[in-house]
Amino acid sequence: MNRGASYYLKHPFWQAVLVLLASYVLVKWGIEYLPPALGSLVSLITEPLGLGRVNWPSAPVPRSIVVQYMLTVMVAILIYVSENEERWRRFKEPIRAVMVEPSLKNLRVALLILFPVLVGWATYQQAKGTVSAPVGLRTIHPAAPTQFTFRGRTVLLSELSNPLRTTGSLEEHYREGMRVYYQNCLPCHGDLLNGRGHFAHGFNPAPLPFDVSTIAQLSEAFVFWRIAKGGPGLPRESQPWNSAMPAWENILTEEEIWSVIVFLYEQAGVEPRRLTEEGGH
Amino acid sequence: MRGVARILGLGCVALALAAGSLAAQGGQAGSTRGKELYDKWCAGCHGETGRGDGPAAGYMLPRPRDFTQALYQIRTTASGQLPTDEDLMKILEQGMPGTAMPGWSSVLSPSDRREVIAYIKSFSPFFASGEAPEVVRIGRAPRRSEEGIQEGKELYQRLECWKCHGNAGRGDGPSAPTLRDRDEYPIAAADLTENWRFNGGGRVEDIFQRLVTGLDGTPMPSSKDLLDAGVVTEEQLWRLAQYVRSLSPEQPPRVQEIVRARRIEGPVPQHPDDSAWVQAEEFYIPLVGQIIRPPRWFAPRVDGIFVSALYDSEKLALRLRWHDPSESPDSAWAEWRGAIARTMAPVDEPLDSLPRPDGVMVQFPRTIPDDVTRPYFLMGEPNNPVYLWRWQSAPRLAEAGRATGFGTFTALPSGPDVPGYEAVFEDGEWRLVLTRALAAADTASALSFATGRPIPMAFFAWDGDNTEGGGRMAVSTWYYLVLEEPVPGTAYVTPVVAAMLTGLLGWVVVWRAQRRERTISGARE
Repeated sequence: MNRGASYYLKHPFWQAVLVLLASYVLVKWGIEYLPPALGSLVSLITEPLGLGRVNWPSAPVPRSIVVQYMLTVMVAILIYVSENEERWRRFKEPIRAVMVEPSLKNLRVALLILFPVLVGWATYQQAKGTVSAPVGLRTIHPAAPTQFTFRGRTVLLSELSNPLRTTGSLEEHYREGMRVYYQNCLPCHGDLLNGRGHFAHGFNPAPLPFDVSTIAQLSEAFVFWRIAKGGPGLPRESQPWNSAMPAWENILTEEEIWSVIVFLYEQAGVEPRRLTEEGGH
Repeated sequence: MRGVARILGLGCVALALAAGSLAAQGGQAGSTRGKELYDKWCAGCHGETGRGDGPAAGYMLPRPRDFTQALYQIRTTASGQLPTDEDLMKILEQGMPGTAMPGWSSVLSPSDRREVIAYIKSFSPFFASGEAPEVVRIGRAPRRSEEGIQEGKELYQRLECWKCHGNAGRGDGPSAPTLRDRDEYPIAAADLTENWRFNGGGRVEDIFQRLVTGLDGTPMPSSKDLLDAGVVTEEQLWRLAQYVRSLSPEQPPRVQEIVRARRIEGPVPQHPDDSAWVQAEEFYIPLVGQIIRPPRWFAPRVDGIFVSALYDSEKLALRLRWHDPSESPDSAWAEWRGAIARTMAPVDEPLDSLPRPDGVMVQFPRTIPDDVTRPYFLMGEPNNPVYLWRWQSAPRLAEAGRATGFGTFTALPSGPDVPGYEAVFEDGEWRLVLTRALAAADTASALSFATGRPIPMAFFAWDGDNTEGGGRMAVSTWYYLVLEEPVPGTAYVTPVVAAMLTGLLGWVVVWRAQRRERTISGARE
């Protein structure tokens, strides 16, 4: 029997197999590699235009999440094929054929051996039990407290604003902020503000980048709180973060922190998030 | 020879200073953009006047390049020549491994990069002459062979590479503590066993190019005159490059979160060079400067620890191996300590050059946590203390202690909770084995090592001859130690049962389907 590709593409069983395979490839490798690849493609256009490289980082998907995605896809497929009587019959056809057709005896025997072996192997992997590191989720923007103590003084976050925006020369604050950044923050957060300074590889969790995904979403008051209190000052719900970020209130002055905030937004080319009239976000 | 070069160099600096400011004022065509970009992205380290004296200069080692001297380490041109634009572009795009210089391609577009390079060149009058420097063509590497590597090794001895880089290549040669760059800043002889940190790249071709062209401004000479005088052949230099490459692993060590300890039929090895250690897998833990709590330290010497672990029914043995060029305190390194203390910014506290021992700490929580919660990684917190092993080189000792915060290490009384140790220092490497009973005697202060559970573990290290001590140290964040339980017998039974059941089920389903088929076709007939 020699059937064309269109027969298989229109057959519900083979459609289901195809969708399953495609989803697996997408979840397992697509999520990890597609965004950076697309970024490089877009860079081919933006770079000659002098707009710089586009960087869309991604990460591999953990196995448990892959399993979850695949289960969802499988349920969706089953709902689709069983929703129509005729489609359901055609869907079962190849399965029935493998079980009963005398011409498919070899395939039948092979599957009947292969499948139990696979099940046995998967069970062994489970049973031999490797211990893995506990997984901690990372809250990048923990909920801000309404108030905190800065060097023994109680500060209301909603009433906190960058005094350097209204006093002195912004250019000078930027230069002072640059000095503070290069003498304190650089080894982790890097000169490219990408969180990949020359010490960054030593810290887990990795230092955060300063870009549209982080400081642009935050008010200057929030950033002040994060810098002043650091990892040790994280609220209970975002523990256990294990962050190496120092509590800078012990090292930097209030003005140095505000100046480094001016520097960060200027250098990253993003605007701080403004608090609304109601004062919330 | 070096004296003459230095006088010439000083003259050049004076010239460069005079003409550099002229060139900067005169403004090469189109360099306003170059200056803008440079001031924004480069001046923090290299300084607005290009002299390598930006605000971060005292916070890193090696120091940032001084562009006014036009002396560049990584070139394809002969020693003493200017680099080509491509040489500068390569460093700008790829950065310099082992230093604070990153690659800039993600921030600077190709045209931006060209502007920045034009501006950097304008800091020195030497580039203005307009003559394109000549690239030293390098041929192809000969096929790698065991005899070739051996020949390279002999050349390493004959050309006295070991005088700086050491017998095993770990940057611990007798001249290493005296090395200074053109500006009298201390410069470490490269650790040739870590090619992922080579400033100009770790491939055989990169190494060969460094050998031929030298690293200008550093004590690393060019071998060009040796080639010209017929002391060595190009083929031999390739052999040397291949030998140097062979000192590093194929791939840089992969960092994993878990150090796995295998169970062996006791007793666990006490000595670091015991043959029993071949049974243990080795894991790499990267270390960086302690820049979190004063006094912070920006120039740590120990950049990683190789860790392996074994245990038996009673004891755990942890083997640590790390590179350190001296057995501190070593009087030969007194001068180096002085140079470091003069070069690094005295962050938080003054720096001194007192003799101090080498040391290492292994940190555990006091009890194994049930979830991801761990004590603060820098020696715990008041309500969540840590249990520590501390070892030092002089006077040689190991102790156990507890801490409830940075700088609060308190030694526990000697007893079974203090680890036993044996240490070896050889060719720029410490090898240390720490052993202790699995069960703690004083469970209020010390950790009991349970099997099959992830036990948080972190490391701190000090190189005394690099002025390190107290808070000035190298640190890691938390990793895990797992004492692996042997695969249980049931792990072999259940899979067989599962496979047999599945197979049986499969046959039943097929058999039923076939019977139904026969019934249907029988009914049709």
